[in-house]
Amino acid sequence: MKSRGITIDDTFAEAFTMSATGVVITADSEKWARQAAVTMSGFGTSVIGCGAEVGIDRALKPDQTPDGRPGVRVLLFGSTPDALEPQLKNRVGQCVLTSPGSACYAGVESKTRIGLGKGPRFFGDGFQTPKRLGKSRYWRVPVMDGEFVVEESTGVVTDAVGGGNVLILGNDRAGLLATAEAAVAAIGEVPDVITPFPGGIVRSGSKVGSKYKGMVASTNDAYCPTLRGRVQSELGPDTVAVLEIVIDGLTSQAVANAMKVALRTIIDTGGAKGVTRVSAGNYGGKLGQHHYRLRELLP
Amino acid sequence: MSGLTFQLKAAPDERLDLSALIPGRLAAMASAEVAKLVVGTSKRRLTVGDVFAVSGKAGDTVTIAGGSSRLDFIAAELDQGTVIVEGDAGMCAGRKMRGGRLEIRGDAGAWLASGVSGGLVLVKGSAGENIGGQRPGDPYGMSGGIVVVDGDAGDRTGDRMRRGTIIVRKRCGANAGSRMMGGTIWAEQGFGPAPGILMRRGSLIGLAVEQMLPTFVDTGRHDLVVLRVLSRYLASVLGQRAPRPLSGAVRKYAGDMATIGKGEILITA
Repeated sequence: MKSRGITIDDTFAEAFTMSATGVVITADSEKWARQAAVTMSGFGTSVIGCGAEVGIDRALKPDQTPDGRPGVRVLLFGSTPDALEPQLKNRVGQCVLTSPGSACYAGVESKTRIGLGKGPRFFGDGFQTPKRLGKSRYWRVPVMDGEFVVEESTGVVTDAVGGGNVLILGNDRAGLLATAEAAVAAIGEVPDVITPFPGGIVRSGSKVGSKYKGMVASTNDAYCPTLRGRVQSELGPDTVAVLEIVIDGLTSQAVANAMKVALRTIIDTGGAKGVTRVSAGNYGGKLGQHHYRLRELLP
Repeated sequence: MSGLTFQLKAAPDERLDLSALIPGRLAAMASAEVAKLVVGTSKRRLTVGDVFAVSGKAGDTVTIAGGSSRLDFIAAELDQGTVIVEGDAGMCAGRKMRGGRLEIRGDAGAWLASGVSGGLVLVKGSAGENIGGQRPGDPYGMSGGIVVVDGDAGDRTGDRMRRGTIIVRKRCGANAGSRMMGGTIWAEQGFGPAPGILMRRGSLIGLAVEQMLPTFVDTGRHDLVVLRVLSRYLASVLGQRAPRPLSGAVRKYAGDMATIGKGEILITA
């Protein structure tokens, strides 16, 4: 089907059930809260090689944070809660504790908890002190600019979704990038989702497996424009590039909302920038528990 | 809000133990049974019917109308519902509460909220010694919950307290936070002499201290994020009753250095 001159494939995005947790990082200014959040999100694009998929969900106003300072919510997605816990511990310990003026609180509410300040508190070398307020326990770790306040645990859910996606195809690489950027910015307004790849955009879509032993994923040759003619390509003759937006969400509905917003942005603005086609990545529907049909998400 | 009202017939001539008069315990009882509950503490074995005129129907609230400083153990072991005292309460009000709400619209006696592990205790007037303190036989004092006293507090507030929060709108007497193991005491108008004696952990927050112990060390002025967390937490739980939010800037004294010194007195002036 076509919408505003852009072909929409009659296909679906295939996504997987994942575990997810989150934190709220605050600081003296949003700039520094974001700095800690960006640092913590580094090397967090895919569970395949990074151990966790990490990204900024949204900025929080002072009246939305536990300490009344500007904040940023970061979400982490992984295969299991046990896999997420060391990721959280290391990222908070190395990237948030070290950031000037920062504090770190639970960012997901759930009965199931994993350690947040449990590990980093030992940086206090015995000078750390606890403060329990209601059901939450906070650790105050002395550091060189005062105290690092970190909540002892945060919630973890096991019914989150990872791998929602949209593929943007077209005949102008710069225009595609600008369209993808606009779509990622629009997704930024949707709560409870992240786009974990660089700037939210992936240029190296993968297929399952490889000719090489030990590689669990390799380049998606059917979507590589320079291989057109050599492989069974999925690309038309005018396609010069494909960019993908991958979406992880705390709920399936959140992922669907983000895909809707992305599709609307691409259709509204992409035609003038060389976008000719929109598609989605799947594995035939046999691997992922969640399917998002593009035609059901169109504006 | 529904429940039984216990109207005091006359000022009691002996101390009364009102620990039986909590909503959860009264809910399953017929009115005749309620009237036969023993509340006296002498050989006379005074019953509810001897002392109170009972009205209303069992529900989630118990109201004790007409207070006296001889009404002890009000709302002891309360775990749900509300107990309202329209007047003064005696000793050990709210003892070992685990949840629910106790509202005293007069003064409270000694040992208010001793051994409390949860719930909310509100006192319109002042309270006696050892709020949230450790009674003989207890392993420690208060271990959770929130106490708000609109007036003054007596000596040794929070003795051997472990967790929870005590807010005193006016002033604490001597030795507040003695032997404290954790938790927070916030006296908006400050502390009497020697607060925090032998405290190990915990926070005492107040406008001023009448006489600081020499075993507390001045660590200087600091902007503490945890005080913002505390202020917002109390605002969320207490609403209008919450103390005025702290900006975070305080002078911190660490101690008691005669013990492990992990406690603190934070001066808000």
